[in-house]
Formats: sequence, C-alpha cells, structure tokens
Amino acid sequence: MESTISVSKGVFLFPNGFKKTKHSKKKPKCNLNERLSKDLWYETFKCNWELIENQLKGLHEQTYSVLLNDIVNYVKLINQEHEYDTLEGIIPSATLLTGVNQPDHVNQFLALINKIREDVTPHVAMINSQDAQTVKHFVENAVWQLIHGQDVLDNSADENIDNDILTQFRIKKNQCTVKTLLSWYQTKYMKQPPKKQKCSVLKKALVIIIPDFESFNCNILQDFVMIISSYVRLLPIVLIFGVATSVSALHKSFPYHVSSKLLIKVFHSHPSHVYMNQVLENIFLTHTSPFHLSGKAFELMTDVFLFYDFSVTGIIQSIKYCMIDHYYGDNIKSLCCRRDEIEETVNNLTVDDLENIRHLLSFRPFLEVQDCETKIALFKDNNFFREILSKELHKLHDYIHTFYLCIRLLSVFVKDLPKNTLGKTIRELYTKCSMECVTNTQPYRESMQLLNFQSQLKLIETIKNALKEINFDIPVTPLRSTPSKNNLHNITLKNDLGLDFAKTIRIHLLTFLRQIENACNDTSVFTNTDMDAENDLENINVPGNRYKLKEKLLKATRVERIQSEYEMIRSRFVCYLEEVFAKGLQPPHTQTFHEIIFFSDVSSVKKQIVGSPRGAIHTALSNPIHYLQVCSNISNLPGFPSSPSFSLLYVCMYVSACKQPTAK
Amino acid sequence: MDHHEDNSDTLVSPEFTPRRLTRNRTKPKKYDGFLDLTPVKRKNRVEVESSEEEFQESSTPKPKALFGDDDVDGQDIFKFKSRHTKNDLQNKVKAAVNNSVNSPMKTPRKKLLHAVNEATPRHVVNIMKKKISQAVETDSSESDFSGSSSDFVPDKSDEESVSSASGTDSEVEEEEEKNVKKSNIQIPKNRNNRMKAKDTEYFVTPDNYFMMNSSKKITTSDHTLARLKNMNINENMKEIAVHMSEQHRDKVGELVKTYDQLFDKWLYILSENFNIILYGIGSKRTILQRFQTEKLHDMPCIVVNGFFPSLTIKNILETIVIDLLENTHVPSNIGDVVSLIESQLSECCTDLFLIVHNIDGGMLRNFKAQSILASLAQLKNVHLIATIDHINAPLLWDHSKLSKFNFTWWDVTTFLPYVEETSFENSLMTQRNGALQISSLKSVYQSLTSNAKGIFQIIIQYQLENHKQVHYQGLPFKDLYSKAREQFLVSSDLALRAQLTEFLDHKLVKFKRTCDGCENLVIPIESVLLQQFLDQQTIMQ
Repeated sequence: MESTISVSKGVFLFPNGFKKTKHSKKKPKCNLNERLSKDLWYETFKCNWELIENQLKGLHEQTYSVLLNDIVNYVKLINQEHEYDTLEGIIPSATLLTGVNQPDHVNQFLALINKIREDVTPHVAMINSQDAQTVKHFVENAVWQLIHGQDVLDNSADENIDNDILTQFRIKKNQCTVKTLLSWYQTKYMKQPPKKQKCSVLKKALVIIIPDFESFNCNILQDFVMIISSYVRLLPIVLIFGVATSVSALHKSFPYHVSSKLLIKVFHSHPSHVYMNQVLENIFLTHTSPFHLSGKAFELMTDVFLFYDFSVTGIIQSIKYCMIDHYYGDNIKSLCCRRDEIEETVNNLTVDDLENIRHLLSFRPFLEVQDCETKIALFKDNNFFREILSKELHKLHDYIHTFYLCIRLLSVFVKDLPKNTLGKTIRELYTKCSMECVTNTQPYRESMQLLNFQSQLKLIETIKNALKEINFDIPVTPLRSTPSKNNLHNITLKNDLGLDFAKTIRIHLLTFLRQIENACNDTSVFTNTDMDAENDLENINVPGNRYKLKEKLLKATRVERIQSEYEMIRSRFVCYLEEVFAKGLQPPHTQTFHEIIFFSDVSSVKKQIVGSPRGAIHTALSNPIHYLQVCSNISNLPGFPSSPSFSLLYVCMYVSACKQPTAK
Repeated sequence: MDHHEDNSDTLVSPEFTPRRLTRNRTKPKKYDGFLDLTPVKRKNRVEVESSEEEFQESSTPKPKALFGDDDVDGQDIFKFKSRHTKNDLQNKVKAAVNNSVNSPMKTPRKKLLHAVNEATPRHVVNIMKKKISQAVETDSSESDFSGSSSDFVPDKSDEESVSSASGTDSEVEEEEEKNVKKSNIQIPKNRNNRMKAKDTEYFVTPDNYFMMNSSKKITTSDHTLARLKNMNINENMKEIAVHMSEQHRDKVGELVKTYDQLFDKWLYILSENFNIILYGIGSKRTILQRFQTEKLHDMPCIVVNGFFPSLTIKNILETIVIDLLENTHVPSNIGDVVSLIESQLSECCTDLFLIVHNIDGGMLRNFKAQSILASLAQLKNVHLIATIDHINAPLLWDHSKLSKFNFTWWDVTTFLPYVEETSFENSLMTQRNGALQISSLKSVYQSLTSNAKGIFQIIIQYQLENHKQVHYQGLPFKDLYSKAREQFLVSSDLALRAQLTEFLDHKLVKFKRTCDGCENLVIPIESVLLQQFLDQQTIMQ
C-alpha cells in the first residue's frame, strides 16, 4: 500500500527527476539555497554568516600558528638531519596532545597538513581510524595518499620530470604497499643522475598523521609501526600522533618492543576553553559583529560548552543556529546588518515590515517620550519613520560600540582584583552586564571599592592595558599628545556614544595616567600640620606598655587621614570610571529596537540545541494534555477523560484480542 | 524536617511545646558561649576554614542557563514509582470514571464535613482540620495500593492509628474523632461494594470444580500465542484507530497538523548544513512522509526504514552509490565511499536528502553503521532527517559523531500508533517474525516445478507430523526417496538429489548427517510457520 513499506527492502530511492548524466554544466534544476534566496532576511543572514566564517578562519590560523610552527620546525629538523642520524629502525615521531574536544581538531590537523605541504614536504598522509580497519587498509591508504598527495602541488612546478614518473606510478589503490612506496620514492629522489647532488639535499620527508590515536585498534597500529620501522632506513618517514588524553595512552597501547622504535617528542596544544574565549572575544563579542546574543542566550551557549561538549565547533554551530533562528522568516531582521548598509536596507523595507517594526516592544518607551506631532508622524509618515529608524539604529550601533568598549575596560580593571566577584573573562562580564544594569549590583560596587585600594604601580599598569584595549578598538590616529583639557575637574562625559566616546575616554585615561605617574605617594607632605600626632607616633618605637600603644593606635585611627596626592587622584579616577561605566554599561534591553540586533529567544532555541528526548517521552506519557492542549482546550469538558487511552503495545494487544475467537 | 515536626506537635499537644522551644533556644547560646571562651587563635582558624570553604564553593561553577523551570524534573523521570499491582490499573480507570461522572461518593462526605465544621467551636477547628487532612491523606495513600488488598478492611486499624497519632483525650476531640471515623468507615465500605461487584465475575460453580479436579493430570491451557494465526496488520489499520476516542483523535490530528508549520524552517535549517532529529512519543512516519511529499518532491531523497530487521548499512550505501549515482560498484573502503559520494554529488550540484525512520533501529545500532551515517550526514550535499524512539537513543553517539551529525533536536510528539514500525517486531504477543520467512518461502516455492513442490511438501508434512519427538533428526533421505517414488515425483536417486540442490541453495532445507551415517533433511523454519504456509498453499489450491 505504501511505497516505503516492504518486507524485503529497507531502503527506498526517490530520484525525483535526478539524472546523473544531465549534470553537464547545466544549471541544477533546484538548488536548495536558491529556493530561499529571494528573501531579504536570507540574504542578510548569508552575508553576515560568511563574514563571521571568514573571521573564524583567520582566527583559526592565528591560534594554531605557534603550535604548528613548532611541529613544522621539528619535522624540518628531522628532514635535514635524517641522513646523518641513522639510528637503526627508529622512527621520529611527534605527539600532539590535543585535548578531548576532538571535533575541533579536524581544522587543526588540516591546517597542519597545509603548513607541512607548504614548508616541508608535499608528501603528507592523514589516516583516520575509520579508514584503517585492517593493517592492509591502513597501509594502502597511507601509501596512496603519500604518492598522490603531491599531485596537488606538482602540476605547476617541474612538470617535465614528474609527468613520466607519475604516469608510471598511477597505481590502483589495492596495489599500494610499502614496497611500491619504496620503489616510487627511489625513482623519484634517488635515480636522477643529472641532479644527483641536488636531489639528495632535496630529499623530502614522508609525513603520516594519525589524528585520533585513541580510536585506533592497538594491534593495527603496532603492526604498522613495526612495518614502517623496518623501512625507515630507506624512507624518511615521520609520524605525527594526535592524542586526546595523555602521553601515557601512547605507552599503554604500545608494548616496549614497539615504543622503542619511536622517537617521541611531545607538543601541547591550547586547552579548548582558552580557544573558546578567544573565539568569543574576537569574533562575537565585538561591535563589528553584526549579530549579538542577549545575556541569557549567551549564557546558554557557554554553559553547553562548559558542561556538555567542550567543543568550540559545537559552540560556533549553536551560535549559528541562534542566528538562523533570529533571521528566520522575518524581514525586519535584515536590519541586523553592517552599519554602512543600514540606510539601504531601511529603504528596501516594505510598508508591512515597517508596521512590524512599530509593533516592537522596545519602540513603545521611545514613543512615549516623543511629543504628539512626532508620534502621529511616526505612525502616518513612512518616510519620516524610515529616517527615524535609521537614526535610531545608528544610535544603537553607537551604543553597542560603547558597550563592548566598556566591558573590555571593565575586564581590564577587574581582572586582577582579589576574589574576582565579577568574573575574569570578558564572556563572564558580558553575561552579567547584558542581563542587568551591572553598576547597581553588589559585586560591581565591591570591585570598585577594591579598585580604590590599588597601588600606584598596579594602577598605572592597568591603565596602560586599558589604553591598549582602546587603541586596539579604534584606529590609532596620530595622537594629539596634548589633551586639550588638562584640568581634571573639567572632565565630563559628553552625551555622545560610539567612536567619539572611545576617543574622549582615551584622552581622559591618558590624562589620568600622566597625573598618576607624576603624583607622589607621600602622605607626609600633607600631614605636617599635625605635629603632635607625629611626635606621638614616634613614641611608638619606645617599648612602652601594651595598653598605651593600643590607645595610641586607636587615636591614630581617629585622626583624619589626610590623603596623599596619589590617593586623591585615584579616588577621582575611580569616580570617573564609575561614571563611564554607568553610562556605557546600560543593559541592551533598555535600548530602542534592541530586538532587531540582539537575539533573546532562548527558550525556543534551547530545545533545539540541547534536546531532551527523555523529558518529552515522560511528559507525553504522564501529562499528555501538555501537548494536546496546544491546539484546543476541550479536555476540560466534563465526562471527557483527560488522557487519551493510547498504548504503544496497542497494536499487538489488539491483534491478539481480536484473533482469539477464531483461534479457538 | 525537625522544624516541621515541632510545628505539628504544637498543634496537637500544646503542653509540650514550651520545653522544646526553650531547649532549642538555649542551644545557640551555649554555642556562643563556647566560642567566647575559646582562645582567639582557634576562632581565627575557624574563620579561615570557612572562608576556604566559601572559596571552594565559588570556584566550582554551576550551569545557569541550562536548566529552566519548564524542564522536566529529573526526579519525576528517574525516581522509583509506587508499586504496580494486579488491580492497580483497573482501580485507576474506575477512579477516573468516577471522577468524571459527578462522583456520588465524594459529595456526601464533603457535606458531612461541612456540617461538622459548623457545629464545632473555633479552637477545635484547627485540630479537626488537621486530622481530617491526615485521614484523607492516609485514605488517598491507601487507594494507591487498595487493589492489591481487596480483602483487607482497614477501618479499625486506621482509626486506631489516627487516634494514637493525636494523643489527646479531651471529650470534644473524641466527638470529632467519631465524625472522622464515620467518614473513614464509609470509604472502605464503598470500596468493598466495588470489589464485590468485580468478584462475581470469577464465581466458581461446583461443576467447574469437579471438572478441574476430575482428570489426574493437571493440564494447562494450550491456547498459546503460537497457535494464533498471524494476521496482516495492515488490513486492520482502520479498526486500530478505534482505540482513541473521537475527541482525542481530532486533537491528535490537530497536534500533528501543527508540525506542518515547521517544514519550511526545517528546509532552511537543513540548507545551512544542520541535520534534523525528531523525537517524542508516537509514530513520526506520517509527518516525515508529508514533509517529503510537500517539500522534497523535486529533489532526490532516500528513505531508510531503520526498523527494518534485515537492513544493513551496505544497503544504504549501495542505494546511493549504485542506484542514485549510477556507479557500477561500491568501493570496499568506507572512507572511499564517502569521498566518492561527496565528489559526485558536488559535481552534480544536487542535494541528497536522507530520511531515516528510526536511526536507532536494531540494525543501525552498531558503531560502524552510526559512524558511516555520521560521515554521510557531515557532507555538505547530504541532508539527514532522522527519528528516534528508543529512550536511550542519544547514547548511540559519542562526541565526535554528534559533532559530525550536527543535529538540531525537535520534539514531535504525535501520539500516533507505531503501525509500520512495530510490524516487524517479534513481540510477545504476536509472532510477527515469520512474515519475512513466509514471504521468502512463498516466493521460492512458487518458482518451483510441480514435482519439486511435491517433494518439498513431503518434507514439510513429515516434519510437521514428527517435530514433537524429543530428538527430531529430520526426514531420512531414504524415506524421502521412497515416498517421492511412490508419488511418481522422481525416478532415480540422482534426480532427487538434483531437485534437492535447489532447496539447499535457497537454504530451505538443510542436510543433517546423523551418527550412523545416513543423511537427514530438515527445514530450518518453525513448525508453526510451516503449518501456516501449508494452510495458505492448500487455500490457494
């Protein structure tokens, strides 16, 4: 009856007009992406995600570069020294301790391969555990990749030499053995009489990467190592193991006779939470990111990372999902774009979209402030509304700029304080600041108080760091090294946010820095008024009775402490900071039109990202109304049992019940 | 807990409370004094310790956003439930019925209580209330278990327990107690009536008694499940729908319809290289079928029945590589297959949709199958939509597989019966596993010549007649030969052997060699199925 039920088949194909032969350059009939592409929001989403993806790629390279360079240098070293270093059958190998977040390492190893291909040798093979079910498969794969890996690079360079060799060695996969590799290698590098001298120098290493060491079968790996070790005199092979747990895994799975064939050097990679912080701070928690997560959503993401998977790829995918959900089917979300595109998008919006924007909750407080005429104009005149909208959005972007700047500054100042009441990392601060007005909270006040006790040196250092942070944020214009307002008392924050805000803060910080640097930290300068106290204090040295000392100390506390110059400046500085933060750290949900840029629908996303099959089953069985009431509420009618009498075993019971009479 | 108990004591027996209270109060005082007496050093140390503890506590962060109020409490899912007993379900049903039809038992009791409340002075009301609630509580807790102990009438003991709990002897309270007693007694009585009504069904007549004891040997019923005929479930589809009441069916229908709104979003999510997994009670086949017909009608898709008992991962790969991509053979290495599919699909610029009903199905439950599915799902041009039903299905995937799958989870509870999904299941109730065997048997049988059919029937009949022997060895070849000759089916030993090779090739018949050297023929299929097969054949003829 149904096309997908059969007693002899479990897989059904619906080609739906797909023909393989038709693919010749003809435009595919129906690409999935093209269906959606006509919508405004989809274009914006696509473009923004590509932006983020590119940034991520850049960051990947940046973060891996140090580690990869180390490994590559090691491989290079081996490659060069190999001829002198003829230890019998010992394979040089590198062990990369990667950490348990294996999904992230795919990128790392791909980057490593590229790097080795570029810098050391074109012959690199990466063997995953699933490709190496047996030693045969393992060797075949490795050899095939080693021989054919260089095709990618070689078609541009010395083609005339290689072509004949390549055609000769265009072998089938099932012929790949180490022996073939050996003969191929020898024809390629040894037997070239005219350039013999040169070639021996150019002899390239063969690198075999095993990215997931733990998931390999031990015996296969042992056999493989033994095979290689017998050839290592003739073939300069280097092994690279990716180990997720610890070096001891290597020793556990290799008995002595195998591990003695390996020359192991260990490299450590970054722990994944460091990497996550980097990704978040550099890509998502910046004003340049077009899309922002609300505090709650952001907390969910980091919690999933910290408590569930520990994988950076995972968190990026979850954020991507949030983005998908944010943009989905909503044209007004196309306003969530780069700043220079706002005007264009606002003009592209239809009247309905504008109407939708008017319905946004955050529009209401904005409306209430306006006078009557503008109110009417906002509702009647679409062009006027467009104008206001783009103005407000620019304002919002300014606000975001300031917000992130302030968070960064706050993190600089708070980072080294004892107890870390606000949190160490920017992401922690972000969750706190975006959920509530952080300046009203107790931890914030405490940390400001602590800041008020910082020593001069320390404070100078932090201010310098803060300045670095600002300079990183805004392009360093040739600094007007003479701040126009040298007088501290005149320092007031202007009303503007955004770039100007950052600039003024920079100037102010510079001023403070100079003053603090110059301030003398000597109390005595000011305290000479009270000579008696001074004298009394000197008496302390006299070993008098304890009671007197106590008395004196008590007295000393009662005496008005006169602040040193540094202390005065410091307290003024802290006041200034409080003022700045009070202005800059307003939570996002206070802003007009924040819904457009900040994603806050956590509850809907959470189900999709985390998923709770067990919970769903439980609710469905214990409280079916939860699901059924979604569509109607007739369940409250009298005489209507609240739960449907359905049963999973029903089919079976029913069948047996109705067949019973005939069986008798 | 302690505190709570104190409170209850104050209610019941006020004369005890002052002593307790004073005792409680003195405790902290003493402790303070002790602290005062202790040397300063010690105090300091204590403080240091506490601050350390504080530090440790704060240093282990807890997830904040992961768990919300709308989550199902873990206690609800995992804690032990009260015992289920024989009549439990029945009682529940009865309770439900009584609740919905304006329960006649409840109302009089309420009235009674009201009357009592009006009559009693103010200060007694509290005590009364408490007792009543206690009584009701014990009552309700009883009702959970009542089914198991139908002959147990708890009125006396109950009353005693109530009175002992109170521990007061004032006359007023005694009066109240009587009232409580009344209400208490009433309930068991009612329950007894109910039970009696049920008991009549199992009334034993003397005739039955003698019938049961007359024969020496006690025989159990031979109405075993094996005797049930297998039936075609699909024919009874409509009847099955009866199990849900009209309103519920409507509501379930509406619920299922609401999921249609998600289709566009799913498509969008799939296009962003996420994959979709559906969970929740009820068959999700229909939803996926609708999704397929509505949204994927112009794209190549492959439907996999994960619940199909003889599905292999190879089948799936073959369908993709040979049937869809028109290659001649599937490479033996898995990595090669995946890379082949990837390259060919991207060459063609097509998206392949892989719909897997029950990715947690029995045959896909191994490491290899899941890792292949994961690496397929990872491909840019392959989109996976899968369903799970097993409660522990998420345990199938480890870290790296999950990240390859890149699932988004969707709760699609439908309450629809698992008709197709269970059709292959060999449950306790029906012997469904024969369907496959019978159908294959039939298809082979139909292609035989009439002589071969005859030979096969001889073997079947012999096996059916003799399979109850303790050591059934099979039909000896010699006997078969003589029987076949009798019916003019074969003329020589060799011809019979030639016919038998056909059966052997299809594994319809097995050769068994006994210790004395003669060959016996056995059909490796259960006798019930064979009987059924034979019946069908006779009907057809």
